[in-house]
Amino acid sequence: MSETPFRNPGWAGNTGEFDLTEEQVRGEDFVGDRPAHGGHASGAGAMPYMLAEKNPDVALFEGEYQERFEKILTRYPTKQAALLPALGLAQEIRGYVSPDSMDRVAELLDLSPAYVRGVATFYTMYNKRPVGRHLVQVCTNISCNLNGADEVVEAFLRYTDTELGETSEDGHFTVIEAECLAACGFPTCVQINSRYFENVTPDQVPQICERLKSEGK
Amino acid sequence: MADMVKVTIDGHELEVPKGTTILEAAKRVGTEVPHYCYHPGMSSPAMCRLCLVDVEGAPKPMPSCVTTVMDGQVVHTQSEKALANRQGVLEFYLVNHPLDCPICDMSGECNLQDYVHEEGRKQGRGREPKRVFGRDDFGGDVLFYGDRCVMCTRCVRFMSEVEQDDRLTVVERGNRSVIDTFFAEGLDGTNWHGNIVDICPVGALVSKDFLHKARAWDLTHTPSICTSCSQGCNIDLHTRDNLVQRIKPRENLDVNGWWICDHGRHDYEWMNRGDRLEAPLARDGSTSRATGWKDALRGVLDGAAASSGGVRAIASAGSSNEDLGALRALVDALGGGEIVYRSARAADEIPLKGYPTLARRRDLAPNTTGANLMGMTRVGGDDATGGLEGVASHEGVVIVLGDRLDDVGADFGEKASLYVYLGTHDVPGASAAHFVLPVATHAESEGTFTNREGRVQRFEPALQAPGMARPAWLVLGALTAERTGGGVARTAPDAFAALGSTVPAFSGIGYGDIGSRGAVVNESVSLTGD
Amino acid sequence: MAYPYVSDHEVRILSKHFGDPLQRRVDTYVERGGYGALKKAFEMGPEKIIDEVKASGLRGRGGAGFPTGVKWSFMPKGTGKPHYLLCNADESEPGTFKDRELMRWDPHQLIEGCLIGAYAIGAQHVYIYCRGEFFETNQVLARAVEDAYARGYIGKDIMGSGVDLDLTVHQGAGAYICGEETGLMNSLEGRRGQPRVKPPFPAAVGAFGMPSTINNVETLCTVPHIVANGGAWYRQWGTEKSPGTKLFCVSGHVNRPGNYELPLGFPLQKLIDDVCGGMRGGNALKAVIPGGSSVPIINAEEVSRCTLDYEGCVAVGTMLGCASVIVMDETTDVVKQVRRMVDFYAHESCGQCTPCREGSAWTARILRRIEEGRGTEEDLDTLMDTTQQMVGTTICVLSDSVAAPVQSSINKFRDEYLALIRRGERVGAA
Repeated sequence: MSETPFRNPGWAGNTGEFDLTEEQVRGEDFVGDRPAHGGHASGAGAMPYMLAEKNPDVALFEGEYQERFEKILTRYPTKQAALLPALGLAQEIRGYVSPDSMDRVAELLDLSPAYVRGVATFYTMYNKRPVGRHLVQVCTNISCNLNGADEVVEAFLRYTDTELGETSEDGHFTVIEAECLAACGFPTCVQINSRYFENVTPDQVPQICERLKSEGK
Repeated sequence: MADMVKVTIDGHELEVPKGTTILEAAKRVGTEVPHYCYHPGMSSPAMCRLCLVDVEGAPKPMPSCVTTVMDGQVVHTQSEKALANRQGVLEFYLVNHPLDCPICDMSGECNLQDYVHEEGRKQGRGREPKRVFGRDDFGGDVLFYGDRCVMCTRCVRFMSEVEQDDRLTVVERGNRSVIDTFFAEGLDGTNWHGNIVDICPVGALVSKDFLHKARAWDLTHTPSICTSCSQGCNIDLHTRDNLVQRIKPRENLDVNGWWICDHGRHDYEWMNRGDRLEAPLARDGSTSRATGWKDALRGVLDGAAASSGGVRAIASAGSSNEDLGALRALVDALGGGEIVYRSARAADEIPLKGYPTLARRRDLAPNTTGANLMGMTRVGGDDATGGLEGVASHEGVVIVLGDRLDDVGADFGEKASLYVYLGTHDVPGASAAHFVLPVATHAESEGTFTNREGRVQRFEPALQAPGMARPAWLVLGALTAERTGGGVARTAPDAFAALGSTVPAFSGIGYGDIGSRGAVVNESVSLTGD
Repeated sequence: MAYPYVSDHEVRILSKHFGDPLQRRVDTYVERGGYGALKKAFEMGPEKIIDEVKASGLRGRGGAGFPTGVKWSFMPKGTGKPHYLLCNADESEPGTFKDRELMRWDPHQLIEGCLIGAYAIGAQHVYIYCRGEFFETNQVLARAVEDAYARGYIGKDIMGSGVDLDLTVHQGAGAYICGEETGLMNSLEGRRGQPRVKPPFPAAVGAFGMPSTINNVETLCTVPHIVANGGAWYRQWGTEKSPGTKLFCVSGHVNRPGNYELPLGFPLQKLIDDVCGGMRGGNALKAVIPGGSSVPIINAEEVSRCTLDYEGCVAVGTMLGCASVIVMDETTDVVKQVRRMVDFYAHESCGQCTPCREGSAWTARILRRIEEGRGTEEDLDTLMDTTQQMVGTTICVLSDSVAAPVQSSINKFRDEYLALIRRGERVGAA
């Protein structure tokens, strides 16, 4: 399924267009990076990214992140409702949700740490352990599975020389399987940190990985 | 008058108040619908799916713990559909259950064992390797065996809603979910966590204190009252080999609901002590001679007849109403005198926030109110020392009931013309006693305590008193009867009735009135902060 | 145009501007008539809006197919409690990718629909609960919301109408079960996203304990069009009981997978052969799942008789669900795909109810064992029996969703199971 006659403009673009710059790929659709302080409060909680740069020792929350956290708090009638955005924000900064992060978020929201642990472990996207710079999530659910998703996973594991869930020696990649990413018309879909890569075939994997390593982010 | 609705359950017609759940309504016709996650003291998540019943006209089976009864409903808990559903759910529970009954403490009192035995499949169909969680120490008195857990979340909800200290949570989701604490924080510092072991329907949460101690079917359960504070929680003493193996709470919605605190739960070792007084002792200076009851009592009466100078007595707030009443009667028969008692106070109360009338009280004795109602006076400090100067050098009759006299010397009472010590252990403070009489603990007798709100509650004998020890009310009552020529109370109810005839607060109340729920005394009792 | 391929059979109401990045900008949206329906809605008033939506016969597009106008009318009046409108943008059903496209290409359409819906049900705040993985999509949406706020389409005294409305984009964290309405509410409140027991229903006790209504993205995107053109207009497409158009997400072994907006009642065979350009490589059709992985699988014969409306799918023994058509050709290994779907459910089960928690994982293990050639014929009976135990006995229907692929595949593709069991042979390769 690699001969797709259409462009998929939006974010990452079709894989293979790596000579283009980020802005060229995104073109007019580019809405710009969202600022760390969250922009308008209505969307402040919708941004937690998965960044390549992770800072596990930064305090929660400082500077612009504190501003964003406070904006998030204004959007809900209870402090508890800010829990998911707050954990996401902690992960954006530190790269994963550690027991210390859970404790600190619990303190900020007047919840018990055990309760926060229960919530954090319920959701798949909160990493409980540190991951590589690029978290490669390959959808292997039915629509992508019908179109060779297993081979794509194999290709990533081969290139990074890891097992599923392991981080590569150079710390760059962690490969996991993901559930349906809602790009079923463009199999196989791979989400790497925040970006979607669609119509990925096994032979494109080395290109993608090289590109990510060189981009540095 | 609440609206009533009619419902038919398994062919029995009954009327219940509107808003009653099917499960509660079924209890009224003697049907216990099997369930795990439901508990009357907490919220109902309806998640175990074991209580699903067959309701005529409903498209699917309904969870009886949350479905309220509708007028005219017809419910079947034993129909093919209901039985098939329960069998199915039980099979699901056993898919990953380790079936380690031979080493599980819950065996013999386990809801999973009982339900599967009644209604489960004869043979399991699971062939897959089971998921393993292992054993986890939650801190405090609790061990958690994750493999046995049925994920009813009663423990999580107890800590969250009743103790209101959110220490437990469900971690992960789906088949990987397991109960856990916040890492090393555990349950340390909580005061009511022992209750989660009681409410766990299987052997997932077990008490470290009770671990591998005794088999459930070897234990005898005897209703009793906790003696660790003035709340008067209703408990059962579980005994085997004439030893208390553990304490469990007994339901009493007016006093302690379904709960007891960790402090009281673990305060039973003293009932098992082996170094007891087993025979009456006649003491003369440094020599002690064991003697029989008749001789001992004769000796006491002779000594009392020869004494002058009045009576001073020390009672204990841990003694029963019957004991204290008999002491009062004896002191009066000997010419009257002051009776004092000492009792400890803790610095703070420990409330159970989710059950407002329940707390571990500051007053650490079970019958302070009883003693007060009988005109006895508290002396000494909050550490239960001091206050005995008046008695120490008294020259007339000195009677001590129960107080261990930890803070006095061996010369205590040496000036007394008659010094009688009634207690469970020989103590240095009884060195100068003329007679040391062995009495039974409350665990070895029948009797009552009066709790802080004036509720008289019964306890029953769970252990056999050692040697020749007898209930104090029997001993003191015999002395009084001889002295006055009156009748002697031969049973605890009679002793209580005798008390009622002299102390108005207790008059007119019989053991039948007290029953298993208790009865409040005739006077209003001021609730001090104790 | 629908995305990424275009077909003449399409009726492009919601997907008119798919592929056109300019549509994301508020200026372009307004130029093309956007927020006109909102203005009209304020003039109509809540009662009339609900009447029009009822008249249109619009049914919930998230899978349940419950009439939207009726759902809106459940909201209590005059209680003085805050009301909430929740938009379910937690699209996680395998095979479904329409909501992401709707949010990505036409975010203002969704915003306008949310605002009209909120006004109609007396809500003051709208929460769009977006799936956590949709970072990029959420950014597009958040930027659109920001622009709408800046232009006064959200906020205080919108367009001088005197109506105040707020909208928050809330991001999930990766749990399929949060797409269930009460699971979503729990997740929004900052809890584990476990579904609640109903009754009480969301219209009585919903988000934060207040009356709430929850609607799917596609449903809310349709609302501005119904308000602008009237309910009767919407009925010119579709069938009597399933009026209007639907975005069909076609994936799997067809030549042109993607989203297609077609009138309900469109024949499934035609969708595959005409609209999607037929089976890839000219392979024979083996099976189709017409409504996302939670509905029963149908074989080629049933496909030929199936029309894509709520009733038409029930007539061939399946359900329309969210209209995610997964097409499988002769190279498909049905057992492997069923196992993968059950693995999905076992992974996503919230773990509250015993039948689902234990049953989904157990079913997945049995299927894995069969797939590895170590199954027995007894296993098929066990599977049928235990999945039947999972139907109708739980708080939500994830448990029932495990039963659908397992039972339908054992019934219709038993030979594939038996090939593995008896001879260790796999029938398909994919």
